[in-house]
Amino acid sequence: MSYDLFLGCVIPARLPFLEASSRKVFEKLGIKLNDVEGFSCCPDPTGIEQIDHTTWLTLGARNLSLCRNNGGVISFCSGCVETLKGVNYFINKDLTTKKEINRYLQKVGKVYEGKTEVKHFAEVLYENLENIKKNVEKPLEGFKVAVHYGCHYLRPSEIIEWDDPFEPITIDEIIKALGAESVEYDLKMECCGNPVEKSDRDLSLLMIDNKLKAIENAGANCVAVVCPACYQQYEFNQRELNKRNNTEYNLPIFYLSELVGLAFGFSPEEMGLNFHRIKPNELFESIHF
Amino acid sequence: MSVINFDFRNQVIKHNASLSYCYQCSTCSGGCPVALLTNGEYNPRKIIEEAILGLQDKLIGVQDPNPWLCSTCQKCVELCPQKVELTEIFTLIKNKCFEEGKYPVAFHAQGQAVLENGIAIPYSKAVLSRREKLGLPIITTAPIEEIKTLLRETNFEQNIIKREAE
Repeated sequence: MSYDLFLGCVIPARLPFLEASSRKVFEKLGIKLNDVEGFSCCPDPTGIEQIDHTTWLTLGARNLSLCRNNGGVISFCSGCVETLKGVNYFINKDLTTKKEINRYLQKVGKVYEGKTEVKHFAEVLYENLENIKKNVEKPLEGFKVAVHYGCHYLRPSEIIEWDDPFEPITIDEIIKALGAESVEYDLKMECCGNPVEKSDRDLSLLMIDNKLKAIENAGANCVAVVCPACYQQYEFNQRELNKRNNTEYNLPIFYLSELVGLAFGFSPEEMGLNFHRIKPNELFESIHF
Repeated sequence: MSVINFDFRNQVIKHNASLSYCYQCSTCSGGCPVALLTNGEYNPRKIIEEAILGLQDKLIGVQDPNPWLCSTCQKCVELCPQKVELTEIFTLIKNKCFEEGKYPVAFHAQGQAVLENGIAIPYSKAVLSRREKLGLPIITTAPIEEIKTLLRETNFEQNIIKREAE
């Protein structure tokens, strides 16, 4: 099994350790990821799409036009996945749009027919759940995980076409397959608030503060995310919140691939867990992992 | 005083016919996390109402409610009993704000970065060395001239430059 790999911007250019763990996990599962030259920004569905939908579609379609793999394309980022799935949705829904976008692409000698299948990496992990179970060498005992699905992994369901938009199960199932506990918490399905940061930082911080509070109240000792925007929102803001509100947040944030990697027996060092701002060492010690 | 602009309303409906399905039940605002936290200052139902009425000056001019506070969580779209494609309509409104140069600076910064680099976050030296340490491959991104050609074709470059000149 193989996929073309679409990395996007945030993971490879800011959080490369998330890429490292993801690549390792897929290699271990025997799923080949092909690097493709010449991708641009996906572009960001919470940024570029909001200011120019046509430009968003055009660059997204150009990216998909570079994919050659029959298995389709996979991304480690929910934003990229929403964009690329969105391009397919809008192009296949309306012939005028498809023609308009291809008129632009023609200027650079490219064409996109809207046929490349797009998948989120967690989607592929879920499809390989049995394979994951077989590879667990070090069950994640003591991990009480608050799963944060994030909005763009699920919605709009008409575009994403994966899991339930309000009662999803896929990531919880993966977490349980690793031997960890998935802790239910209030506000589980709420937005992390990252996209609002571009227009109102205080509001964005209030949204993540509410989520962190709910997660702590539920007794979770870490969070699992599948999107680099959510990752940054959860991890980068805990210190700022502590400074502003005298809170004492110190909650490790894991990418799903990191938890899978730990259960597969990869060391924290080889996955670059030392690059986290909130080091998970204390957690590991407290649960004797 | 707000002036009803039928042309504007028709433009929105032509772009997305689902606007006319709205019967103002407010399910969208009830499920909106931002409406909840701003005590209704941000209110998706109201944006739709203004679009139905064609209140262009409210939506694009004074931007009340402020469409840039939408977190794009897409809950409203899922919840709407009439299947109004709210966020697609909000995108159209924000795109019109962009054309007028009336949008938050962070969106402009992202637009500039993509225009100049083809990607939203250029690779810093520190990240490149971190990638090497992690054993990650060198990434070859899009040829910038190709991206610029496309961004000129869609008028994106002109709109970004217009804002810079202001």
